[in-house]
Amino acid sequence: MKRIFKNIALYIGILSTLVASSCKPEIEGFQPTSGEADFSKYIAVGNSLTAGFADGGLYLEGQQMAFPNLIAEQLREVGGRDFRSPFFAENERNGSGYLQLKELVNGQPVMEDVTDNLAYREPGKLSKHMGDIENLGVPGMRLDLSTQDWFGALNMYFERLLPDTDVGTKTYMQFATEKNHTFFSFWLGNNDVLGYAMNGAVTNEGDPTTVLTETATFEQVYRGFILALTANERKGVVATIPDVTAIPFFTTVTREALIAAVKAASGQDVQDIYIETGSDTRRAATDEDLFVLPFASAGLLGSTSTENPLPYGLHPDHPVESKYVLDDGEVTTIQARIKAFNNIIEDIAEEEDLALADAHAYLNRIQNPGIVYNGVAVNASFITGNAFSLDGVHLTPMGNALIANLFIEAINKQYSSRIPKVDASKYRGVKFP
Amino acid sequence: MRIKELLLGLLLASPTVLWAQGSQVNTQGQKAVGMAGAGSALFVDETSIFYSPGALVKMDHNALSVGASAVMYRSAFRELNSTDVHHTKFKISPPFSVFATFGPKNAWWKAGLGVYTPFGGSVDWGDRWPGRYELNHLQMRAIYIQPTLSFKLTENFGIGGGFVYNVGLVDLSRSIPTASADGTPGRAELSGVGTGMGFNVGVHYNLEDDFAISLSYRSQVTTKLKDGDAKFTVPPALATSFPNTTFDAELPLPSSFNIGLTFPAGERMDIAADATFIGYSIYKELVFDYKDNTPVLEDTKQEKKYENAFSAKVGINYETSDRLDLRIGGGYVYSPVRGPYVSPETPDNNRIMGSIGFTYDINDRWDLTGAYVFQRILERTVTSVNTGLSGAYKTNIHAPGLSLTYKW
Repeated sequence: MKRIFKNIALYIGILSTLVASSCKPEIEGFQPTSGEADFSKYIAVGNSLTAGFADGGLYLEGQQMAFPNLIAEQLREVGGRDFRSPFFAENERNGSGYLQLKELVNGQPVMEDVTDNLAYREPGKLSKHMGDIENLGVPGMRLDLSTQDWFGALNMYFERLLPDTDVGTKTYMQFATEKNHTFFSFWLGNNDVLGYAMNGAVTNEGDPTTVLTETATFEQVYRGFILALTANERKGVVATIPDVTAIPFFTTVTREALIAAVKAASGQDVQDIYIETGSDTRRAATDEDLFVLPFASAGLLGSTSTENPLPYGLHPDHPVESKYVLDDGEVTTIQARIKAFNNIIEDIAEEEDLALADAHAYLNRIQNPGIVYNGVAVNASFITGNAFSLDGVHLTPMGNALIANLFIEAINKQYSSRIPKVDASKYRGVKFP
Repeated sequence: MRIKELLLGLLLASPTVLWAQGSQVNTQGQKAVGMAGAGSALFVDETSIFYSPGALVKMDHNALSVGASAVMYRSAFRELNSTDVHHTKFKISPPFSVFATFGPKNAWWKAGLGVYTPFGGSVDWGDRWPGRYELNHLQMRAIYIQPTLSFKLTENFGIGGGFVYNVGLVDLSRSIPTASADGTPGRAELSGVGTGMGFNVGVHYNLEDDFAISLSYRSQVTTKLKDGDAKFTVPPALATSFPNTTFDAELPLPSSFNIGLTFPAGERMDIAADATFIGYSIYKELVFDYKDNTPVLEDTKQEKKYENAFSAKVGINYETSDRLDLRIGGGYVYSPVRGPYVSPETPDNNRIMGSIGFTYDINDRWDLTGAYVFQRILERTVTSVNTGLSGAYKTNIHAPGLSLTYKW
């Protein structure tokens, strides 16, 4: 009898210990480590994507959600220190200005410009940001122009980061390679095709941002830039260039949608949209031809003018101008160039033992078939796809978080590090009014 | 400008709501709870209405008992390759039970009424965890009302059966990926009440005071939820796409077949063992039928593909004196949920159970029974086939309970 009581006391003792220690279950298992890399001073080299450009502008919220900033937050767990960005001040938080969704009319988006709290010190010039920074992303930066000192005077986002004495005299490559970093991310080259593609594969005379960079130039500059960044065996991650057909800028306004719009507006049964191709021929558009997003809001389709009384785009003798359309031939040319660039990026990454984030493959997967991330459908649909912001090119905060995870996976794979992933479901897609 | 089917990308996914294994914590009788759920053959009392309708007629008195448990689910989730562990908020769900018997003493029949909650639970992950677009919170309860009759075929052989009327309550919320002007996501709230019917039958046989066996079967009960409320909080521009509406859904509660055995292991000690087969394979899919459909708010169908489940429980009842019985038990439950179909509402896996309990006879009229069961749903790393959410879940369930019985 006594023994039983003693045993029962023991059982109760065991059980209460179990209860006390297990009220809240703990899950062990992920120990962050830096592996073979040194993340103490991480710099991010790149263009608008690195800077956090979104919704057609650079503004504070976008800067804060830029993928390198999200990566840097995770790097704190593996020895990363301060990661400073050229944030706009709170009273200038809307930076360059950007697009927002004003309303949906019959399910169609109406946009407006945000014009308050901008950061212009004079027209075309943004408030300077002096002081040390690690996010070196410059919207509009191209690989081929990263070695041109005059570009600092032409690009207002770069000009903003340079002391007056360096404007027009310092190249982006010089600017980015003097920061004493221990680790870098490098994502340049998109604008070397995108500037040309977004202009409908038309190079504007005197505008170096609409040039399609030659493959040889690309390889030479890319290698030079990477060699400078990897000097003294420093490590980093590079990323491939996304396909033009993976972004809503080119995939939203389809031939089918234009025909449907004409029918809805005029009640007429239209069969064809006529375009002017890059080779100056005029023909009916096919589904392989891509219209640029701004064409939708340009209000040209079906319009007439005194010079040409025929309805715009609906008659062979008044075709959609080449700058609004990437015809199938141009798409092929651009895709071939992207492939050549990506081969170079992959080769150099391998030569230099760098991590490779394959943004080309990843964004193609988002475009087709799309992914489901923690219950959220993510795809390349304009506005509702959650990945792309209102300009159809740049990423939403959620898109940035997904890209941050792509980079983190690549780094972990290459350097045996264990950087924790970003919870991308914390970040939003497009804001609705 | 026209963009075809612009809003289709926002299509609302199916809510995950089921009377699942995770929500099944049997707390109908505190004596059985003290033995981790075993004892259907051992305890011949008013709770036999639930555990063994065939045993009810063997009661030599009438009784009324009222009991309640405080079930505390503590679930944790860690997303794959993340250091952040997310915990459900501390919630107590209070399943209760009332059992009453009627009829002449030592006669060939006995009647009883049971009101109890065989399924129920409350999980609240909040709206800041990685699975927020699958679930914020879920509260559900099934209340069974079961009038029962039990007959003696021979002195040792009893048979009984009851009719089950079920009232089911569901209340859940989840985030919707539609950012408003301040960047916060939208929210869907679904709630409703449904009813269903079923039955409960059983036989009980004993050899004098030595050995007893109980067989019982509880049928499937399909709770038909009609005109539940669906309420959506979304940015104004999307309000017409997400109209507040009503929905219908069918939530089947599984059948179960139970075998219980008991035999003495000493003068004052009894051992009882129970095995339960649960027909969870009826959960093939879950369909939500919204009354007002829009291009984004369509009826949803989600695959579940549950398998049948099995549990085994064993317990010891020790009579320390004429007034105090002490109990201890343990058990193991095989989960019906396959990895890719695990959902945060009941992040299920196989589970182990341990329990202690007592009954104190205050006097000839009054008994007080207490029990405490702890269940650990084992850690499980899964990738959801429905949402892609990938990570490890682990759950502890604590359920202390008390019941008071009046006998006459």
